[in-house]
Amino acid sequence: MSYPWSEDVITVERGPEPGGVGGAYRVLGETLRGLKTVFKQALSKPVTIEYPEEKTPVYPRFRGRHKLHRFEDTGLEKCVGCSLCAAACPAGCIRVVAAENTPDHQVSAGERYAAVYEINLTRCIFCGYCEIACPFDAITMGVDYELADYTRSDLIFTKEMLLADPIDKTPLRAEGE
Amino acid sequence: MPKPEPKLITFEIDGREVQAPEGMMLVDAARLGDVEIPFFCYEPKLGAPVGACRMCLVEIEGMPKLQTSCSTPVKDGMVVSTTSERVKQAQNAVVEFLLVNHPLDCPVCDKGGECPLQDISYGWGAGRSRFIEPKRHFEKPVALSPLIAIDRERCILCYRCVRFSQEIAEDYQLVFLERGDHTFVGTHDGHPYVAPFSGNIVELCPVGALTSQAYRFRARPWDIEDAGSICTLCPSQCNVKYTTRDDTRVLRVLARDNQGVDDGWLCDKGRFGYQAIHAPERVTQPLVRDGGALRPVSWERALSEAARALARAGGRSAAIVGGQATNEEGFLVQHLMREVLGSPHVDSRPSGVLDPAQARALARPDLTAAVPDIEWAGAVLVLDTELVDEMPILDLRVRKGVRRNGVRLVVATSRPSSLDPNARAVVRFTPGAGEAFLAALGAALGDGRGLDELAGRAGASPEAVRAAADALRDAGPVVVVWGERLSGGERGRQAVARLLDLARTLELAGTEGAGLLEVPRGTNARGLREVGCLPNLAPGLADAAAAGKSAGEIAAAVPEEISALLLVHADPLSSHPDRGAWERALDRAGSVIAFADFLTPGLEEHATVVFPSESEAEKDGTMTHPDGRVQRVRQAIARPPEVLPNWQVLAELCERIGKPAGVVSGPAVFERIVASVPFYEGLTLAELGGKGVRWQERDGAGRVPESTLPEGGLEEPPPLEAADLRLGTAPSLWSGPVVEHSPILRFLLADQRVELSVEDGERLGVSTGDEVAVTVGGASVRGVARLRSDVPPGSVFLVEGTQSENATALTNGRPRAVKVARAAREVTPA
Repeated sequence: MSYPWSEDVITVERGPEPGGVGGAYRVLGETLRGLKTVFKQALSKPVTIEYPEEKTPVYPRFRGRHKLHRFEDTGLEKCVGCSLCAAACPAGCIRVVAAENTPDHQVSAGERYAAVYEINLTRCIFCGYCEIACPFDAITMGVDYELADYTRSDLIFTKEMLLADPIDKTPLRAEGE
Repeated sequence: MPKPEPKLITFEIDGREVQAPEGMMLVDAARLGDVEIPFFCYEPKLGAPVGACRMCLVEIEGMPKLQTSCSTPVKDGMVVSTTSERVKQAQNAVVEFLLVNHPLDCPVCDKGGECPLQDISYGWGAGRSRFIEPKRHFEKPVALSPLIAIDRERCILCYRCVRFSQEIAEDYQLVFLERGDHTFVGTHDGHPYVAPFSGNIVELCPVGALTSQAYRFRARPWDIEDAGSICTLCPSQCNVKYTTRDDTRVLRVLARDNQGVDDGWLCDKGRFGYQAIHAPERVTQPLVRDGGALRPVSWERALSEAARALARAGGRSAAIVGGQATNEEGFLVQHLMREVLGSPHVDSRPSGVLDPAQARALARPDLTAAVPDIEWAGAVLVLDTELVDEMPILDLRVRKGVRRNGVRLVVATSRPSSLDPNARAVVRFTPGAGEAFLAALGAALGDGRGLDELAGRAGASPEAVRAAADALRDAGPVVVVWGERLSGGERGRQAVARLLDLARTLELAGTEGAGLLEVPRGTNARGLREVGCLPNLAPGLADAAAAGKSAGEIAAAVPEEISALLLVHADPLSSHPDRGAWERALDRAGSVIAFADFLTPGLEEHATVVFPSESEAEKDGTMTHPDGRVQRVRQAIARPPEVLPNWQVLAELCERIGKPAGVVSGPAVFERIVASVPFYEGLTLAELGGKGVRWQERDGAGRVPESTLPEGGLEEPPPLEAADLRLGTAPSLWSGPVVEHSPILRFLLADQRVELSVEDGERLGVSTGDEVAVTVGGASVRGVARLRSDVPPGSVFLVEGTQSENATALTNGRPRAVKVARAAREVTPA
C-alpha cells in the first residue's frame, strides 16, 4: 500500500528531558509510589490459589464439560437420541447413533434412545448450542473445566461418562461473590 | 395412445408472466415461475391428483372460492395469487387443522429433519395452535409389515400410500379404514402389507407415519450423505441413492428418479437388499482351499495360486461370467481368457448359444425399444417372462401404460402372469414351446394358414392366439418385452428367428416408439454381451477369432478339455441349468477360481481360490441396461480393508501370467472398452453422468456390424408322454444370496413350490400344501404343491435359484417332461 505524498509535518510531543535535578526528583517520587504499593500488598491476604489442591470457584452459568441427565423418578435417560445437538453443533463434535427401545430394554422415555452418544471434547468450543437445541433438557453444560488428558482419544466422552457425576466437584461461586 | 405434443400458454402468478405447457397442473406450472406452492398429497407419479390435503389452495381471478392448485390445470390468461390475505389465512388454517391430531414428537420421529410437514408448518403455518383438547391416540408403532412400521397418530390422511397400492402397484391391499378422526391406513383384510413394491410408500409418506423398519432410528438427515448409483440386483438397473453414514455403512436405499429407467420407483429387493453388504457371512478376505477347507490367506498367496493354476491350464481354462459383473470386469475377463490364456471359452449366458448374426440383429438400434416406449406404445406384448420377478420395475411401467394411456397389453407366457388381469388378450403355451407360439402368432397376423396346427404344437388355444394377433394388429407402435428364457436352450435359435420374423411382420424397425426389449437373466447381460463375454462374439459383437464353448458345453468338457474354471459372480450350481452336469464339472475341474461376495454351496464345496468381491455399493464401473442405456455404478462406501477392486485383481492376474493388460484404473478399462466396441465410440464417463446414455441415440449407433440371418424352418418339438407334465421354471424375485443374507428380507425367501393345474392335481391326488416330488431322469426336486386354477393342464412350474431343492437339478436347456408324485413326508427325528 502506498501513501499519498503530502507536505504535512507531524509534530511529536516529548516529555521533559531526563537528567538534572528535575529528573532526580521525579525518579524519587515514582520509587516511593512503588514502595507504597509493595508495603500495602505485603500486609494483605495473598490471592494465589493453590491449584490443584484448591480450585477456582466458577459462576453457575459457566460453560464447562457437558452433562447428560436422567429422570430422577424413573431413572430413564432424558435423551431420546434425536441428534438435534449434533445438528446445532458448530464444531461437529457430537455423534449420536440412535436405536429403538424395547419393553425389556427401556433406556429412555420415548420410542428411541441414544445407543451411542459421544462428544469429542478436543473439538468442542463450549458454545452451549447443544444445550439450547435440546428439546428435552437432556444435555446441559456442566461446570467442570478440568479437561486435560494424556491422549486425544481419552477426550472423546461417551454416554456413560457424560451421564456420570464428575469425580471432583467444581466449587461454585456464592451469590454476589 | 400417442405421446401428446406440449403446447405453451402464458398465465400470471403473483404478478409474474409465466409460460407453461397447457394442461400442466398449476402447482407444477407455478414452479416454472419460481413460485412455490406447498402441498402434501400431490405427487405426479401417482397419477391423477386427488386434492385431499387442501394445502395448495390458491386464489384464481374469476373464481369465487379458493382452488386446489394441484388439481387445476393451467389455462391461458389465468391470473393466480398465492400470497393474498385469503390464501394466507387458508394456508394457516390448513396447517393448524393438520396439527390438531398430529403428535409433535418430532425429536423421536424418524422423519424429523426431512419432513414436509415440519417444513410447511414452518414456512406457511401460523406458528401457534388454538387447540387445547386431547389429540387422538392409537397404539403405536404398529408393524404394517415386517418391512414397514406405521404410526397412525402421525398420519395426515393424504392418501398417497393408498393411491400407490391401488393405482401404481395395483395390489389393492391398502385402504382407509373407519371414518372421521378414527380413520387410519391399513390392509383391507388386516394381513401384513407384503408386496414387491411396498417400500415405496415409506418414501411417499410426507410425514413420519410410515417408516422403514430397517432404517428406523438409524440416522438423521444431517448425519448422512447421499451417494447416487444404480441397483445391480436385477436387469432393471434402477437408479438409486445410497444413504451412507461415516462413509462405511449403507443405511438405506432410496429411488433416484430417472424417467428413462425406473420412473422413480424401486422394488423391495433393491430397497432393503443393501443389508447383505454388511452381512457377517460376506467374504471379505481372499480364501484358498487348504486341507479340504477354504481358509483366509494373504492376497499374495491367493493371487499366485490363481495365476499359477490359470497359467498351467492355459487354453484349457474357461470363464463363466455372472450377470452382476460390470462391463469393465466382463471386458477384462474375456481379455484374460482370449488374449492372455489363449482360451476362447467365455460365456455370460446360462444356457444355449446365441447365434452371432442373431445377436447382432437383436442389437440393431432401430429394433430396440427404450423403456419409456412401453408407456406410450399402442400395444405391448409380454412374451415368456414374469416381469414382477425378473425385471420388477417394468411391471409397474406396463401397468402405468395400460391404466393411463390405454396401451393394449397382450400376455403370452407359459406360467400365469400377474399382468393377466390387465391384458386385452392372454395366451398360455406349453413351457419351452415359445418358438411354436411365435410361429402361430405370425400365422395369425398373416393369412392365418396353418394357425391351428402351429397353435396345437405350442399347446395354445387358436382362439387366444387369434385374439392376441387382433390386439397387436393396427395398434400403433408395438413393444415386445421378451424374456431371455425364450432364446436359451437348444431351441433358442429357432425362437429368436421367429421373434425377428414377428418384428418384421409388426414393422418394429421402421416405427418410432416400437421395438424389442429383452428381459435378460443377468443384471448386465446386455453389457457383457457387447463387451465380448460370449463364446462366439468378440467385443463389439464382432465374430470371435475362434469360437469357444458355451456354458453348457464347458460343463460337459471338464476335465478332458477344460481343467480350470474362472467363475466371476457366478455359481453355476444355483443359476445354470443341468445342476448334475455342473456338479460333476466343478468336482472334476483341477481348479475353480471364483470372485464372490458370498460362499454359495457350489463355491463352498468346489472353489479352490475365492477372491472377495466388491459389493454393489463399493463398486465403480459401468453397466448397460437391456435397452442400451450405459449407466455408471458408483462407489458409495469404502471397501472392507481386505477387499480389492475386481478389475485390479483381474489386471494383476494378467500381469502375473506374463501379459500385462496395461490398465491402471477402472476408468482406463472403460476407455479400452470404448476403443474396442465400435458403437460405444466417444462415450466418456463424464457424459454418462448421473442418468446414463443410450448408445442407440449417439453417432456411433450405426456401427453395429451387420450380417445375414441364418435360415431355418421350424423343427418338430419332442413328443410329450401322456402321463408326463411339461416342466416350466421361473426365477423368483425373492431368491438368491442377497435375500438370504439380508435379515429383513429373509422372511420373503422363496421356497420350492410346485404349481399345478387343478385338473392335474386331482388326477395325481395332490392338493395344495402337499409335499410332492418332481422327477425326471433320476433327478428329483421336492416342493410344496400349489394348485392354481389358471395354470393350464399339462404344465408344472418350479422356482429357479432357491437355496435348496433348486429347479436347476431338473432342467437341461431342452423342454422336459417330468413326473409329479406325492412325496412321503420326511420324518424329522425328535
